Amino acid sequence: MFTLSGIVETLLWGVANGCIYILLATGLNIIFGVMKLVNFAHGQLLMIGAYVAFVASTALGLNAYLAILVAMGAVAVIGIGLERFTFRKVLGTDKLNEIFVSLGLIYVFENAAILLWGNDSQRIVSPYESLRLSLGEVAIGYDRIFGVLIVIAILIALFLLMKKTKIGLAMRATSQKSDTSMLMGINIEKVYIFTFALGAALAGVAGALYGIIFPFNPYIGALPTIKAFAIIILGGLGSIPGAVVGGLLYGIAENTAVYFLGGIWQDAIAFALLIAVLVLRPTGLFGEKGE
Amino acid sequence: MVNKKVLGLIVVVILVAAVAVAALQMNLFQPAPSAEARPIKIGLVACYNKAEGQDMDRAAKLAVEEINAAGGIYVSEWHTKVPIELVEVNTEDDTPAKAVSPVTQAVTETGVDLLIGGYTSAGTLANQVVAIEHRVPYIITGASSNLVTRRGPQANYGGLPEGDTRRIDDAEGMSYMFHYCTTTGDYSKTVVNFFAEKMKPLLDDEFGFAESRKLRLAILYRDDAFGKGVVSDSKSLIQSNNLPIEVVAERAYPTTATTFQTDLTAVKAAKPDAVYVVDFIANTAEIIKEGQRDVGLNTVYIAVECCEDPQFYTLLGNYGDKQLLESKFAPYAGPPYYLPMITTYVASYQQKYNTLPGMMGADTYDAFYIAKDAIERAGSVDKAKVRDALESTAMDQMLIMTQTGKIQFSTGTNYHEISAVTFIEQLVWNATLGECRSVIVYPETAPVVGTLKQADFVLPEGYQPGST
Repeated sequence: MFTLSGIVETLLWGVANGCIYILLATGLNIIFGVMKLVNFAHGQLLMIGAYVAFVASTALGLNAYLAILVAMGAVAVIGIGLERFTFRKVLGTDKLNEIFVSLGLIYVFENAAILLWGNDSQRIVSPYESLRLSLGEVAIGYDRIFGVLIVIAILIALFLLMKKTKIGLAMRATSQKSDTSMLMGINIEKVYIFTFALGAALAGVAGALYGIIFPFNPYIGALPTIKAFAIIILGGLGSIPGAVVGGLLYGIAENTAVYFLGGIWQDAIAFALLIAVLVLRPTGLFGEKGE
Repeated sequence: MVNKKVLGLIVVVILVAAVAVAALQMNLFQPAPSAEARPIKIGLVACYNKAEGQDMDRAAKLAVEEINAAGGIYVSEWHTKVPIELVEVNTEDDTPAKAVSPVTQAVTETGVDLLIGGYTSAGTLANQVVAIEHRVPYIITGASSNLVTRRGPQANYGGLPEGDTRRIDDAEGMSYMFHYCTTTGDYSKTVVNFFAEKMKPLLDDEFGFAESRKLRLAILYRDDAFGKGVVSDSKSLIQSNNLPIEVVAERAYPTTATTFQTDLTAVKAAKPDAVYVVDFIANTAEIIKEGQRDVGLNTVYIAVECCEDPQFYTLLGNYGDKQLLESKFAPYAGPPYYLPMITTYVASYQQKYNTLPGMMGADTYDAFYIAKDAIERAGSVDKAKVRDALESTAMDQMLIMTQTGKIQFSTGTNYHEISAVTFIEQLVWNATLGECRSVIVYPETAPVVGTLKQADFVLPEGYQPGST
């Protein structure tokens, strides 16, 4: 038995969930696009972001939404450290080296989180936790609405950064031809550091939003990473608009699958969508127009 | 002359008796402790990083400290008491992939004499195979799937079809398994009976429903042996007892799920009178919160006994008010408690750990005393002798109530199980404490103990019944 209000609510949950995927996939896509680096530990940065925001809101008493800024900053700094002390050492060597470094980092981050916070689920308590916006029979929590607005604001800022700033230009140039960019006087080491920090910061925000909306534990990073990879393949490798559309489609597809078929179909349907898109359009939805 | 002889004899008898008594008192007739005497290694199989595992660990340490402080376990074969050495067997997240190797290590390398614990049914079904193969007595206090003792020939394979990989043909190995925990059938029975006997009449009175209207029940469960066991047992109990309950929604979700709004939205569309949530602490608390806060499903939620833990009460906050919990140990429903021993246990636990105990620990605590009793009666740590002694256990009930007041393991179809008494608690928000406390609302009485019920069941504020 399904209702119209139930279907509308399901679509809204899908959009809200999709926004978190968008942030994660966009960060992953920027890093891949500029550095050609495949970071399987990207979801663990989301997890760290959730815990940083949790500590900021509980130990420091910050408002959950201010804690997002702390998470963004802290995870960006962690990203700089990662780029400088791990990935830079293997960048440009065998691709397997990068992959194994990132796989190793998954366990380092997970075990560190277990040591620091245990593996019970936590949640960031938002002051708007119990507030819902009702439109007839349809209702959605304020936290989800704020989450969507924050993601929209970040995407606009990202667009302006890429199109209107020197660093954005340098990133786009490096993503197209790093050797030529160097010859044109671009310090690609700095571009790499900035790119990784930016990608990590987006994962940090995604983690903080995740922690406000969902309970989290040290293991939550693994599945979102796979989903983020699926989304950037769905949207087209290196394409930010592709990551946005892919994230929304993915979020809506998995929630609709849960509503109509049950929770156990959530991942199967979403990945089936990915396979269908790749069969029909191997470059992904925005692959050829990507930037 | 005769009198002198008699007197002399009496004096000699008295002297001999006095010497004998003194010798007895000084243990002069007691053989010296055997050179083989050593601490008894008991492995506690638990997820030490989870709230339930921490509770089990704390309870185990409490029991071991008590037993060791009293001298330890008397092993007649060694002519002495020996202490328990607690061995940590950490199954991490208790998935089958991670639950086996720590048990293998404990059995083959550490050489544990006995295992206690187990958490999820899936993890325990996987790791018990090691204990079965090596003939190590395993008192399973966690997993609620009855297959942990019924997958062997003694219980006709628990109804598993031929070819099912869960079946174990090793009858002797299976005889080392003892289930000191309620099964999914036990608590499903209490839950569906509560709905039929208490909640349905209340709804009929409150909302003027016809007697022919069945109570509309939704079941939301994790997609594993535990969840499926509860659904299957609940439905068969409703059917076989012809209970006035209709299962209007039945939704499984993956064990990796952490959010449930969409499932709850679909459950809401089915218009249930109550939602039976079958999961562990974190997810159950999240479902109850999301149902009320995000989906507006203002109904009665009932959780299962593994959620009887301080973390559940903390996570729920005031969303727990007037919600239900099926349990077999109620530290939040007192003092006074229905069993005097619970008062002592709760006080010791609180003094040592500064928190209330949970249910998983209560089973564990009892199990250590069951092990002590069995080893002492066996007079040996020989695993076969301990197994035999466990099978003939007949102790007085401790923290977990049983139908007979005795801890006894069954034989036959319900192989090596106990017959625990389960009940329904209703949580009540306590603004002063900033947390819910509970009262027992069903059943009225328990065998041996007598009165159990503390208050009448009431509907939550804003409760909305399903369709008429």
